[in-house]
Amino acid sequence: MRSYIIKRLLYSVIIAWGILTITFILLRVGPTSPVDRYILNIAAKGQDVESVRQAIEARYGLDKPIIEQYLLYMGNLLQGKWGWSFSASQPVMELIGSHWIYSFQLILLATIFAIILGVGLGILSAVNQNTKIDYATSIFSFIGISIPGFWLGLMLILVFAVYLGVFKTFYDTSYPIWSLENLRQLIMPVLALGTGELAGYVRYTRSAMLDNLRKEFVTTARAKGLSERTVIGKHVLRNAVLPLVTIIMFDLGSIVFGGAYLTEIVFGIPGLGQVSFNAIFANDYAVVIAVTLIGTFMVLFINLATDLIYTYLDPRIRYD
Amino acid sequence: MINKVPLLQIKNLKKYYRVTAGLIPRPLGEIKAVDGVSLDIIEGEVLGLVGESGCGKSTLGKAILRLEEPTGGQISFQGTDVLSLNKRDLRTLRGKIQIVFQDPDSSLDPRMPVGDSIGEALIVHGVSGAGERGRRVARLMEKVGLEAGFAERYPHEFSGGQRQRIGIARALAMDPRLIIADEPVSALDVSVQAQVLNLMMDIKDADGLSYMFVSHDLAVVKYIADRVAVMYMGQIVELADKEELFRDPLHPYTEALLSAVAGLRRGGGSRILLSGDMPSPLKPPAGCRFHTRCHRVMEICPVAEPAFREVVPGHYAACHLYP
Repeated sequence: MRSYIIKRLLYSVIIAWGILTITFILLRVGPTSPVDRYILNIAAKGQDVESVRQAIEARYGLDKPIIEQYLLYMGNLLQGKWGWSFSASQPVMELIGSHWIYSFQLILLATIFAIILGVGLGILSAVNQNTKIDYATSIFSFIGISIPGFWLGLMLILVFAVYLGVFKTFYDTSYPIWSLENLRQLIMPVLALGTGELAGYVRYTRSAMLDNLRKEFVTTARAKGLSERTVIGKHVLRNAVLPLVTIIMFDLGSIVFGGAYLTEIVFGIPGLGQVSFNAIFANDYAVVIAVTLIGTFMVLFINLATDLIYTYLDPRIRYD
Repeated sequence: MINKVPLLQIKNLKKYYRVTAGLIPRPLGEIKAVDGVSLDIIEGEVLGLVGESGCGKSTLGKAILRLEEPTGGQISFQGTDVLSLNKRDLRTLRGKIQIVFQDPDSSLDPRMPVGDSIGEALIVHGVSGAGERGRRVARLMEKVGLEAGFAERYPHEFSGGQRQRIGIARALAMDPRLIIADEPVSALDVSVQAQVLNLMMDIKDADGLSYMFVSHDLAVVKYIADRVAVMYMGQIVELADKEELFRDPLHPYTEALLSAVAGLRRGGGSRILLSGDMPSPLKPPAGCRFHTRCHRVMEICPVAEPAFREVVPGHYAACHLYP
């Protein structure tokens, strides 16, 4: 088991290195330059655009051959230096360090919200299959799956912030992270981000539960005289959890630059989604590479964690 | 060898399923999976229940334990009216009647060590100490011919035959009086079938159990049963002692079934081929349900439903050949 984990971590580093290299080359090969967004300013000041560009690029080493830039970047990275953000005028790590918490809190709360409610409703739906409860839950979950998160976010803002005035229309960074006010203002973003996933989890839980409810070990469990609660909790749910873990972990791996990014834009939350959005449009190379690497490591780490959770959940799975 | 005390009495038992179709469910009709079955199982006997797939024999087994709630009729177990029991008393009753299933793959919880699957029944039974439970599980595993040390293992580490033994041990944990065995050996190789059947017979003799042995395999039933009931489209069409039934079947359906098994065909008789499939259970044929496939069909058969009556002492059949 230990050798398996070490092997997987080694693979992860190699994959991350590959993605880093591809990202690096693609950014440098393109016809863009970090100077682009300042060209109008430069021209307005009556300076010669081309000479200023050369001066700036020389300052950041962008005039050197790609291979030299790459070796320099890798050398710095191995020393823990992630480079300088042109657009934010601060080290990349400082930039990310001051913004990641906004994404993290949003994703964490939305995921917890989606899992608890989604799995709960899914169980309720399966246990009451083909009843009004089941139909109502199904209709709700189909609507939830169909609505895009950003649209739901806009509608929530329209109704609860603009018409009813219950919330502010934007995310207010002046509240400390660990404050009730902050938790309260996260309600709408969490709903916008979590509802789609919640609705999906309802469907997955329901079908996984039904698959197992039909199994004969469930009938024999009932025949033993176990209470229905024990039968559902101990035999059905425990076996239904496995496919759920797959889908939940998959969502977690893709959420940062998927749903969370759009939610951050809609609510004006200064998280990693916004940081990468700005960095891409500013051709801020170092930042783009850093957030890409963070995303890569999240996916790789979550995949490894998923596989390890499997061995705990399913005695049939062993990696040796 | 059999004292004639009925352990289980079933009278006119019915289990209907309402069938619906469409987005907005509209009723299509009813499937009469079990339609007016009356049976006794005597203390210490093995009752074989045979019939084609879909004839309702598995449903009958589950309905006895109310794992499928019967639509009508009466079930009496050791004098207790099963259908009037409340939830709690039903759970107590379920200890006395246990069920063993066909599919050794799905009949054990894949995420539970087999010792726990067996021991779980003991917790319900009031054996709460882990030490005592462990000893009982070990004894049960040895009783079914498995090493007690295997209790920590998971179902996937066992072969099909071993898993079926575990299923039997789990049923025995409740110290039942009756075991409903629903095709318990159908999924096993023939050599393993014999081992499991022998095990079941040994346990029956040692513990004085009764079995209701559901099977589509006449050879197996001939080996294990004392009496045999033949089921067709939710109804019992013939019931007799094993020797009597195999020597002198009365119902044409039983005749056809017997003729289909090479080793059981009577003195040079040719094989009787049934024409067509079983009719849709949604629209069972009028009169005798078997008349559409019967090789001895008469004018009365599509018109009137034959009564289930004692043709020879101890030998019952539902057929117009025996008015």
